[in-house]
Amino acid sequence: MAEATPSHPGESLRDAGRSRRPPSAATAPPILAAHEVHRTYRFGQIEVPVLRGASIAIGRGEWVAILGQSGSGKSTLMHLLGGLDRPDAGRGTIEFDGRAVNLGAGRSLDRYRNRDVGFVFQFYHLLPELSVLENACLPGLVGGWFGHARAAAARRRAGELLEQAGLSHRLRHRPAELSGGERQRVAIARALVNGPRVLLADEPTGNLDATTGASILDLIAAQHAEGLTVAMVTHDSSVAARAQRVVHLRDGQVVDG
Amino acid sequence: MYAALLSNRYLTSRVIPLIAVGAVALCVALVIIVVSVMSGFLDMLKASGRTLIGDVIVSSGIGGIPHYDEWLADLRALPEVEEATPVIDTLGLLRMPYPSGPSKEIAPVQVWAIEPASFARVTAYGEKVWWRPPADDAAREAMLPDDPRLRMDGSILRDGLTLTQGATGKPGIVMGMHVSVGNARQSDGSYRPRFGWFMPGEEVTLTVVPVSESGTISEPRDATFPIVNEVFSGVYDVDKSRVFIPLAQAQQLLRLDAAPLYDTTAEPDAEGNLPLLGTTPARVTKVLIRAKPGVDALAARDAVEASWDAFVAKAARRSDRLGRPPERVSILTWEQQLRDLIGPVEKEREMMRILFSIIYIVCAGLILSIFWSIVIEKTRDIGILRSVGASRLGILWIFLRYGLAIGVVGSLAGVGIAWVVVDNINLIHEAIGRDAPRAAWITTCALSVLSVVMALRSLVWRGRLLPGLLWTIATVTLGIITLALLGHRGTLIWDPSVYYFSRIPSQVDWFNAAITVGGGIVFSVIGAAIPAAKAADVDPVEALRYG
Ligand SMILES: Nc1ncnc2c1ncn2[C@@H]1O[C@H](COP(=O)(O)OP(=O)(O)OP(=O)(O)O)[C@@H](O)[C@H]1O
Ligand SMILES: [Mg+2]
Repeated sequence: MAEATPSHPGESLRDAGRSRRPPSAATAPPILAAHEVHRTYRFGQIEVPVLRGASIAIGRGEWVAILGQSGSGKSTLMHLLGGLDRPDAGRGTIEFDGRAVNLGAGRSLDRYRNRDVGFVFQFYHLLPELSVLENACLPGLVGGWFGHARAAAARRRAGELLEQAGLSHRLRHRPAELSGGERQRVAIARALVNGPRVLLADEPTGNLDATTGASILDLIAAQHAEGLTVAMVTHDSSVAARAQRVVHLRDGQVVDG
Repeated sequence: MYAALLSNRYLTSRVIPLIAVGAVALCVALVIIVVSVMSGFLDMLKASGRTLIGDVIVSSGIGGIPHYDEWLADLRALPEVEEATPVIDTLGLLRMPYPSGPSKEIAPVQVWAIEPASFARVTAYGEKVWWRPPADDAAREAMLPDDPRLRMDGSILRDGLTLTQGATGKPGIVMGMHVSVGNARQSDGSYRPRFGWFMPGEEVTLTVVPVSESGTISEPRDATFPIVNEVFSGVYDVDKSRVFIPLAQAQQLLRLDAAPLYDTTAEPDAEGNLPLLGTTPARVTKVLIRAKPGVDALAARDAVEASWDAFVAKAARRSDRLGRPPERVSILTWEQQLRDLIGPVEKEREMMRILFSIIYIVCAGLILSIFWSIVIEKTRDIGILRSVGASRLGILWIFLRYGLAIGVVGSLAGVGIAWVVVDNINLIHEAIGRDAPRAAWITTCALSVLSVVMALRSLVWRGRLLPGLLWTIATVTLGIITLALLGHRGTLIWDPSVYYFSRIPSQVDWFNAAITVGGGIVFSVIGAAIPAAKAADVDPVEALRYG
């Protein structure tokens, strides 16, 4: 697990950081931040600017909710934060733990997605051919060629997370055999299996009824209580109320309040 | 790690990989079967070409090789040489014993005058003499009841092997099987007399033209020979034109025998005789050599060449000018000698290989498109994997493994299919050659009725479209097969009475099979790699949007 590399000097501190109580959001430097990011989609000649210099800073241990209308660019921003997509060339940076995330593709970005952040999608995105347990382990299996020890560790951790999510009786099932809420729990377990410091959740309850949604939020809240930083997109203000801080995405920019 | 997990899962949880395996297997099997049969024919052609010429063949011009007996003795003493035999090779006209009436058919023939005993030790002549009683009960069983050989005794074979009519002691002729039009080839590859023209026992007249060393042509000469037997070499060009007569007779006819030589420029003496210059030695125009077992034909050729040079040097020291060996003889291995015969077939095989590379390309396209659809179907999965940190190479590796597995399994299955088909190709061919057995069409008919019931069951009672459609297709297919079987009246695709070899070669060309398997695997891997690389290049978000 402890693979200290020059590009991630803070890596070995990660587990320590997870178990500490978070410092106050106001004083500490942000764990994850976007600076003046632009993202424009092109349809032939027409350019649709979705993000226009959006900036956000997420403090260590903070739980931020991003609210905004449909089509305002919430998912786009989350994808940028999660390293799944890149800002327009040269227009904006993403910073993780005080260092710019190298967005020039390649291994460091793969590593970032694998270790530093966990992503939860609105539509679960589980692999249909794999069992619940295998899906949850997946990030643990991905990050390296030789990894029997790591695989076993990932399996153990995934088992624990699935147990916390109340799914220990479903480990061998296929995702298709689960309800939406159960699938989202598996997706959360998957996002957390490599012990990331930030959980990025794009409308994790968007497809679920209120009670199921609440239980998903409880699960996230439990992780947050253990020190996990959470950034969550929603357009439901009652969901946003679970967060410590709410920001809005309007006209391609992030505004407070 | 995850690559193994996923490629195994993808392989085992879908039908598409099975289709891909089937496609690879069929392509591989097709190529192996066709090339194996082609190579088999080439080998058979080579083998039968060799049967009547031995390993090394020495040919001189029409002047012939004098003192050949001495050279034969030298040759037989060589460690590389098993046996050597003298031959005279010339052209002739054969007056056939048919049709009845005064005007008979004339056939141009290539005459080989041989010493039958040593010729049979150099070539497979002894085995190729056709008319003979069945060797044993098994052979007797195998022959059809109207085969003339069933009524023969050993004398006809003996006459064929000695080129002598045993009853009269006259020198005889043995003709290639297709010199006479009286031999009708049957579908089992045996022969029956046509119009009652059974050759052995008949007489033919052979006309040859002696040619002197200087190239002047003398008066044509002819002789009558009883036909003592016929010979089947397996090479049509040989069998339709070659006849064998005893060497001594040919030497007389062609004036190649030992004879006194008079000085025609001098005055005749009192009794009108010209002064005697000496004796011209008997000559032959070819010497055929069989190499010792294990000696390569090329090595034997070199030894023969050295021996020839020594023979020429020895002859130069001889006093009589009459026995000078010719300046040049050609010394060739059987393969070089048969180049004219083998060359076109080899070219044909190359043509087939080229045509087949088109099939290879079709197979590659098929594999590529199957993999393309497989990978496209997995685009969202690829996005998910990328979003949890899988690298592009990791994605590529999943599908490389996948293609490798399909390529290996498919190619090996293809070899299996090809092996079963090639091994049983004569059985399959015979089965096609017969009317379909009643059991076959009754079975398919019953199956087609069964699938009608299944189709109705899925469509009407269960309201399912796909199984209904599949069962309907099965019904129609089985119905067509039933009708085809009913209408099938044994057609021989490979009719040995038309084609020259009586059996289809049934030996898998393993070298070619190995290459084909390698090709199948490589194409599968490439076919999987191309769409996988394309999919891995898509940004995760784009891939996730898919589907
Ligand atoms: N790959 C793309 N190509 C073109 N346009 C895109 C693409 N992705 C997003 N968009 C556009 O960008 C805008 C913002 O999309 P985004 O998905 O970020 O919105 P959102 O705030 O998440 O909306 P929702 O609440 O409905 O999920 C939309 O108008 C969408 O049509
Ligand atoms: Mg969205």
